Amino acid sequence: MYDTPTLERSVDNNTVKFSARDVHVFYGETEAIKGVDVDILDNTVTAFIGPSGCGKSTFLRCLNRMNDTIDICRVTGKITLDGADIYDKRIDPVQLRAKVGMVFQKPNPFPKSIYDNVAYGPRIHGLARSKADLDVIVEKSLRRAALWDEAKDRLQEPGTGLSGGQQQRLCIARAVATAPEVLLMDEPCSALDPIATAQVEELIDELRQEYSVVIVTHSMQQAARVSQKTAFFHLGDLVEFGDTAQIFTNPRDSRTESYITGRIG
Amino acid sequence: MNRWRLPSHKLDQTHDRPALSPGGFLSFPKDHAMTTAAFLCLFVLAIAGYLWNRQAASAMRADGARLHSLEGFHGFYSLLTVLVPVLVFILLWVVLQGPVIDAALKGGISERLDGLGTGEVQLIVAEIKSLSRGAVFGTPEQWKFDAAERYLALNARADQLLLVIVLVLSLTLIVFSRRKVAAEFRARHGVERIISGLMIFCSVVAIFVTIGIVASLAFETARFFAKVPVTEFLFGTNWEPQIPLREDQVAAAGAFGWLPVMLGTLVITVIALFVAVPVGLMSAIYLNEFAPKRFRAVAKPFLEILAGVPTVVYGFFAILVVAPAMRSFFAAIGIEVSPNIALAAGGVMGIMLIPFISSFADDALSAVPQSLRDGALGLGATRAEMMLNVLFPAAIPGIVGGILLAVSRAIGETMIVVMAAGLIAKMTINPLDSVTTVTVQIVTLLIGDTSFDNPKTLAAFALGMMLFLVTLVINVFALRIVRKYREAYD
Amino acid sequence: MTDLSAQETPFAGAGSDLVKRRNRKQVVLQGLGLAAISFAALMLFILIASLVVTGYKAFVQTHITIEVYVDPAEVSVEKLPRGGFREVLLASLQEEFPDVEGRAELRRLQNVFSNGAQFQLRDMVAADHSLIGQTVTLRVPVSDPFDQLAKGLVKRETPEQLRRVNDREIAWFDALDAAGKISQPINWGLITNADSRFPELAGLKGALVGSFWALLVCFLISFPLGIGAAIYLEEFAPRNRWSDLIEVNINNLAAVPSVVFGLLALAVFIGWLGMPRSAPIVGGMTLALMTMPTIIIATRAALKAVPPSIREAALGVGASRHQVVFGHVLPLAMPGILTGTIIGLAQALGETAPLLLIGMNAFITSAPSSPFDSATALPTQIFIWADSPERGFVSRTSAAILVLLTFLITMNAVAIYLRSKFERKW
Repeated sequence: MYDTPTLERSVDNNTVKFSARDVHVFYGETEAIKGVDVDILDNTVTAFIGPSGCGKSTFLRCLNRMNDTIDICRVTGKITLDGADIYDKRIDPVQLRAKVGMVFQKPNPFPKSIYDNVAYGPRIHGLARSKADLDVIVEKSLRRAALWDEAKDRLQEPGTGLSGGQQQRLCIARAVATAPEVLLMDEPCSALDPIATAQVEELIDELRQEYSVVIVTHSMQQAARVSQKTAFFHLGDLVEFGDTAQIFTNPRDSRTESYITGRIG
Repeated sequence: MNRWRLPSHKLDQTHDRPALSPGGFLSFPKDHAMTTAAFLCLFVLAIAGYLWNRQAASAMRADGARLHSLEGFHGFYSLLTVLVPVLVFILLWVVLQGPVIDAALKGGISERLDGLGTGEVQLIVAEIKSLSRGAVFGTPEQWKFDAAERYLALNARADQLLLVIVLVLSLTLIVFSRRKVAAEFRARHGVERIISGLMIFCSVVAIFVTIGIVASLAFETARFFAKVPVTEFLFGTNWEPQIPLREDQVAAAGAFGWLPVMLGTLVITVIALFVAVPVGLMSAIYLNEFAPKRFRAVAKPFLEILAGVPTVVYGFFAILVVAPAMRSFFAAIGIEVSPNIALAAGGVMGIMLIPFISSFADDALSAVPQSLRDGALGLGATRAEMMLNVLFPAAIPGIVGGILLAVSRAIGETMIVVMAAGLIAKMTINPLDSVTTVTVQIVTLLIGDTSFDNPKTLAAFALGMMLFLVTLVINVFALRIVRKYREAYD
Repeated sequence: MTDLSAQETPFAGAGSDLVKRRNRKQVVLQGLGLAAISFAALMLFILIASLVVTGYKAFVQTHITIEVYVDPAEVSVEKLPRGGFREVLLASLQEEFPDVEGRAELRRLQNVFSNGAQFQLRDMVAADHSLIGQTVTLRVPVSDPFDQLAKGLVKRETPEQLRRVNDREIAWFDALDAAGKISQPINWGLITNADSRFPELAGLKGALVGSFWALLVCFLISFPLGIGAAIYLEEFAPRNRWSDLIEVNINNLAAVPSVVFGLLALAVFIGWLGMPRSAPIVGGMTLALMTMPTIIIATRAALKAVPPSIREAALGVGASRHQVVFGHVLPLAMPGILTGTIIGLAQALGETAPLLLIGMNAFITSAPSSPFDSATALPTQIFIWADSPERGFVSRTSAAILVLLTFLITMNAVAIYLRSKFERKW
């Protein structure tokens, strides 16, 4: 579809996808996120960086309401997706998660065949009318995740038999298969070796053509390589948010500077 | 096996089916054809509802509507909406039909039953029912035949009524759920809500069981204490429950002091622990620390076999092997012992408890963190010293919890003592004598005759209440210790 | 570290008294441990050995084969199923021993046959009327004393007045044996007959069928209830006082003495609800209440073993919590759940006390045809037989126990196989 992905493209779309205002997250009594305001744009890779325990993963999981599954977790404030409040009572978190796909830190394919892994989402959401439809979706998703060539001859083999990098791309294919609008990635490369990491990073940049991508990462190099926007979290605060280039070359906040120069972390 | 035997049922050999006393206060519908038909009818309709809804949803989708839920959920919505309420209805009906019809039957012949005792009324009702099945004994009066006719008619009408109601109810619910099918109808939520409700019901059943135990025991115990003073039961030292069955028989009034029974239970429990605790602990220590891997791989499953042997087998083992062996041993050294020697029952119970204690102790020892072992060994302790001075003290809470659970098992264990212990309650702690236990008394009091209005039967429930309370206290205590211990090292 | 020869270690003080003493302590501790395990093993061995030694003889049954002339004077079509089958049988034996006379002696001779022989002959004739007036060859069990004699359980060297068979009877038996009329085929009656007052006829069919119905009812109730409760508590229940209460309650229920469940069943199922006494459905319901906590605990452990990453993955693509549980977690936990369930059912199969209280120890000479009929179960049948005075029931009790243990071992083996086959390391 896009023959020549331009790696050094600037942010070419200014539609706001997610908008968060004064978001607080509490785990029981402890406040993990202390009032975050951020706008996440469409067709953009936004990176969340920051030291461990700074709340970047917690905030990411607010965006598709994965925190709902933790009993003691409470979210206040307002998060909108395309203008609609996702914490509205009428919103079904299940439908939301189909629209906002997620890829996790550790590759977690279902112990089923590769085909069934990718087909699971379309099946439960009724996206395919026939087996042929489903085949098309599976192939498209695997192609988008750059896994088709490696997997097309072994679709019925268990997904758990793939290598780590392949497994993570399978998880990306699985997320893509539900036709989401946003892809959330929680340190997607932390369990991968450098070569697999490079493949996934390349993929992330391609995915930006169609989705808004939010990635949590520990690696500042990775943030610099793949993202257009970067948000720096520290102790539950969103310290700084801006264009990646600006954050890494000319941070406004002293804490950001300390972090990217390696003094806190 | 020259021991007192339980009232045997072997006398009514002449009948093809034994003549059983009427079940209880109520009777259970004997003819199941209509109930089966009602169930079948329900299942067929529920499946029909499933298919109808599913097909409707599919059609909607084919027309291009974007459904909130998959077609299957629309189908399941109908299935569950029909199945759950109607199933509950049928079960309630089945339980209540017998008593309601009995009441109607008695109402119809109330002038004949006036002034009769409950026992006689029950006999007449039973006779009418057997007449209705075509079994005629002797020459019953005509009114009994008439009543039997009426009984049959009532049952037939009730059966028809059940079928009709099931049909109407199911069809109504099918139509109701069919009308709900729409693009935006959240069928999946509906299905999930029903399933959650069912699962909550399942979890609450456990509570109902406990309530049922407490209620039934408390109810019958209260009736017992209406006949026998509480103080006599709790502090009496005489237990002779063999009182006459009929009111007009003249015999010694029964004595219901539970102390000798409790003492006997304690004697057997202590004997069992004397066998089980040292053997169980030593096996656990050996298996946990010293045994070679292959030995452990063999010994563990074999201990599990020992744990899986049913207690009735241990009971037979006690009377077949252990008790005769002990009798001849003590005869050889010139000591006269009782044929139902407490040592035999207690010893065999101890064997039964060995795997129980050993597996608890093994778990407790394994839960001690490796760092403690390393610390002791790093100081130059031998493995025995490490075990005795470090691991064992650290594991004590878990082990104590396990032993307490074993005590509760020993107190509540029934078959070994029913088969191998005695029946006469004595105030003795001599392990060579014959003693009886709470569970033995419960079983012997309730086997055979069980009319719910004589103190003999009710005494069993009073004993059951005491058994339940004692074991409950021990269990709660033991489980709390075990849980605390696990949390400490998790 | 098992090397205890500390003397060879080159460190200072290695051979000292203190070290020797410390090492000796270790040897003693190990010795005690081994002794404890050996004691347990010895007991298990004695248990099994005594059962096998007393029980194996019940797996064969002494039979007598004899030509019987179905005398039309004694047996006629019109009178069937009544008729003089006893007399016909006796006549056939009298032919062998024409010198036996007198009522008492004839009754003794008759007693060579099991009491069931006449019914076997009756059923043959009832099925085929043309046999009347013919000579048929019949192989029937001998009565218990002669069975014991044939198996050597009644010793010939015992003085006659202490023996259950006198010298004359032994002479008859030996004569029949010499004539080749005595055989000891496999005792299929042990499985195909229901209970009987006569040991040589008593079998386990009623108990097996009764146990089957009871276990089926137990499974049908406890499996769905247990799984439903476990899933709710593990996957859905909010952690609050209620779920804590339910949890404590289930753990305690698992430790309540079985006889208390019998009291519950007697008071509630039979007393208040008026369900039939001695029926496998009541037994099954009682066992279900006892098995449910076991299944709940096993299911929760199996659900807990499924890693959270699977749940997250499914939630992440927009599956609802129900879809996550029923589509992913439950199938993955199934082997563990089944293992726990089979072990729970095996426990239920061996459970005796509650069944005694609800009357499943009645004497019933036919197998139940539905769960509503009166029946016994395997363990209660063992209890009845263990309690019976006839000598022949001792070996039958052992044999019945061996049958029960075979079932239990099979069930446990299946559980272990399932566990090892499908166990998944995450």
